[in-house]
Amino acid sequence: MSTLLQNIVDGLGRGGTYALLALGISLIFGVMHLVNFAHAELITVGAYAAYGLAEADVNWWILAVAIVVSAVVASVAVERVAFRWVRTASPFTMLLPSFAIERLSHALWQVLVSPKKQTFSGPAWAFDTWSVGGIRLELMDLLTIGVTIAVLALTALVFTRTLFGIAVRGAAEDFDAARLMGVRANRVISGAFAYAGFLAGVAAVMILMRSPTAEPTLGADWLLKAVVAAVIGGLGSFSGAVIGGLALGLAEVFLRSYLPAGTPERLTDAFVFALIAVLFIVRPAGLFKVTSAERV
Amino acid sequence: MIAVSKDGLVERLARSAAASAVLAALLYAAGLLYTGSGGSARDLLVKELLVNLILVLGLQVFIGNTGVLSFGHLAFAQAAAYGVALVSIPVATKARQLPDVPVGLGGVHLGPVAATIAGVAVAVVLGAVIGIAVARAGGLAATMITLAVLFVVDSSVKNWSQLTKGAGGLSGVPVLQGSGWLWLAALAALVVAHGFAESRRGRFAIATREDEVAAPALGIGLFGARYGAWLVSMVLVGLAGALRVQVIGSTNPKQYTLDVAVLLLAMLVVGGMRTVSGAVLGTVVITAGTEAFRQLGDPDRLDIDRFPDLFLGVALLAVMLLRPGGLLGDTDLQAWLRRRFRRPAGADERAAPQRSAVLSADGIGVRFGGFVALDGARVQVRPGEVVGIIGPNGAGKTTLFNVLTGLVRPTAGTVRLGERELTGARPEHVARAGVARTFQNLRLFANLPVRENVAVVALVAGQHRRGEPAVDVDALLAAAGLTGLADRPAGTLDYGNQRRLELARAAALSPEFLLLDEPTSGMSDDEGQAMVDQVRAMAAMVGAGVLVIDHDLAFITRISDHVVALAEGAIIAEGTPDAVRADPAVAAAYLGTEG
Repeated sequence: MSTLLQNIVDGLGRGGTYALLALGISLIFGVMHLVNFAHAELITVGAYAAYGLAEADVNWWILAVAIVVSAVVASVAVERVAFRWVRTASPFTMLLPSFAIERLSHALWQVLVSPKKQTFSGPAWAFDTWSVGGIRLELMDLLTIGVTIAVLALTALVFTRTLFGIAVRGAAEDFDAARLMGVRANRVISGAFAYAGFLAGVAAVMILMRSPTAEPTLGADWLLKAVVAAVIGGLGSFSGAVIGGLALGLAEVFLRSYLPAGTPERLTDAFVFALIAVLFIVRPAGLFKVTSAERV
Repeated sequence: MIAVSKDGLVERLARSAAASAVLAALLYAAGLLYTGSGGSARDLLVKELLVNLILVLGLQVFIGNTGVLSFGHLAFAQAAAYGVALVSIPVATKARQLPDVPVGLGGVHLGPVAATIAGVAVAVVLGAVIGIAVARAGGLAATMITLAVLFVVDSSVKNWSQLTKGAGGLSGVPVLQGSGWLWLAALAALVVAHGFAESRRGRFAIATREDEVAAPALGIGLFGARYGAWLVSMVLVGLAGALRVQVIGSTNPKQYTLDVAVLLLAMLVVGGMRTVSGAVLGTVVITAGTEAFRQLGDPDRLDIDRFPDLFLGVALLAVMLLRPGGLLGDTDLQAWLRRRFRRPAGADERAAPQRSAVLSADGIGVRFGGFVALDGARVQVRPGEVVGIIGPNGAGKTTLFNVLTGLVRPTAGTVRLGERELTGARPEHVARAGVARTFQNLRLFANLPVRENVAVVALVAGQHRRGEPAVDVDALLAAAGLTGLADRPAGTLDYGNQRRLELARAAALSPEFLLLDEPTSGMSDDEGQAMVDQVRAMAAMVGAGVLVIDHDLAFITRISDHVVALAEGAIIAEGTPDAVRADPAVAAAYLGTEG
């Protein structure tokens, strides 16, 4: 029983981070039909911003804010520099600039900083634990779950109650009509990138709290899981992305727990990917069909 | 059959071989210049380029022709590499590396040719299974399946140590000396890639890339076209994997990661993925650029990879933003040869075929959720007859076409062509049965030449409508007034010409019935009047009855023998054009007054 609960907490902690990233990917897919393979590079941007400030002995909470702000700025900037040019292209054509940016990001951090892993000091309390009824709860797991819930609630509010959120959902529902909106489409898409950057920034804070390091390929490890989570949920479906992220996190933790002891981590990943392949063979549109009713 | 088969197997093979020979000769000359002044490192780079070229050609055959993005091809190259390693490493070495190798592989030792064949076979057999899922899914789902396959194969290789020795990989594969055989393999791969683009299956695949809706509506099934391309591409990537392991003498999972997949994709798209010439150019540009930038780095430092990555990122971004079709776009040696050495088609005498089947829809109901798009609609077209459908926007005219052509499954009613029931049949089956259509919002194969738009559909007719006399592509183009524009990409035509081309393309199926969705939309009055004669001429050429939707009442009145008026999903009037025009219910529906 306590293993079960422990696994659920671990799975939700991991899955919450996937959900935040997947939501950003799904949001951008919704407004411009781009599967953004450069999305997780925003984590790397946040990590280097934090590393730079940590060198100057800045307080952790300011670092957290800086991580989010840098991710938002980078997200909006990348849209202006690269994706705006190919907005009307096919999803296939748009994928390639996103790969190019991912590749450039890897290379630039190597040139600008160093190819080596840079470690800085995270918050001292991150690894504090509480024992409740035999379950060991790490403070950062609880914080991750709490922040994820708060951010998702905020997202639901933004997308149902604000003019911006409604415009984005409109664009996600009828992409062509959004294109016809002309100038307003620019604002909506910029806004969607800013919000996706915010979500990635929060995810980056959660990730860096656990392991305060910056390295050029930091984003790559998270990218695939985030894309997979978004796709499981049905690209463009906001609630689907959240459920996809949580399901993926739980599936990983439970597989690791129930596969025979000593099974390498990589094999667990293979299992997850095999399940995903089967999923797409059975339901090519993802778990959740994209219909307006299912959107947050 | 005669007109279609003018461009026969011999001509197609000759063109493929000629284009391949020219490209291979250019590469060989460049290779000689490069290696003439350098040491063995340069020889190795040329070998690497040739292996990459075969891989990229494999990608071109599938991705370039079908437009379905795949990350998974490398997984099959890797499977082939391990297949070769397992059957070609000398027995004693293998016993040391893999003491527990299963199924008696420990005692197998094949020569290079047999081992290569075994490796390709591994890739093709694995690929044949996975390809079913990929070809069925299409689009983004197919891309995700291939991504998952890449990781599953990668993890399997890293963990199935009895067979693969894990992440360290296998070594001790006999290395092939010299590079003549590698050049031969590259030439063969060029011929295969060129030949596929010329083949019937290849041209169908290209049509599905250009429009996933129009291709099935003209008789080209998505699955068959994609699966054929997939299998041919498996042979090429299998060959590349089998050769790579024999060039290097070892194999390990690092050679087949997602990063490598992206590098190869960059090679494919930078030159232009739609053509073989583009794939070759991209492979050379990216390989040369990566190597040049590698030499900028300091080999003693960790960051040796940063400059090539920088180059790759900038090159890919610049090309995608400035020339999304690749450096060459659709400029292609093969296409040039096709234009240059096309045999003039003879003017065959052909009698309009005799038809007797009637196309009929009865009691058609369609609901989208709570919205009733059609409610008990019926229509009948007899051979040689022209039936017009009119009605205000949202009346359900196009939905009726979609039901007739299998794009929408009706919730009630039946569709028949003669004795044959077509209700709920797939679009390609409806088309092959003899119902061809055009689209209100123009769905041409935009990147293909005008002529190929028509010719590829004539090819469908040749395959699936064998009872019919051959379609004369040039005569159809002439009837549409497009003879002088035959080599232009269809997407560059003006609006009226695009409409006329869609009409000619549908007629090329030699259908029993032509369904035309607003053929005069966006045309001037004069053009619309000319369209009456063009529709009649083309329908007469292939002996087809016509069902036509249009808003232009003058056009409908002049062309139709019989008119059906639809409003809110139901028929409100039908009869001769004049009778329907005079019907008060029709006027009310158009003017919006209560009738």
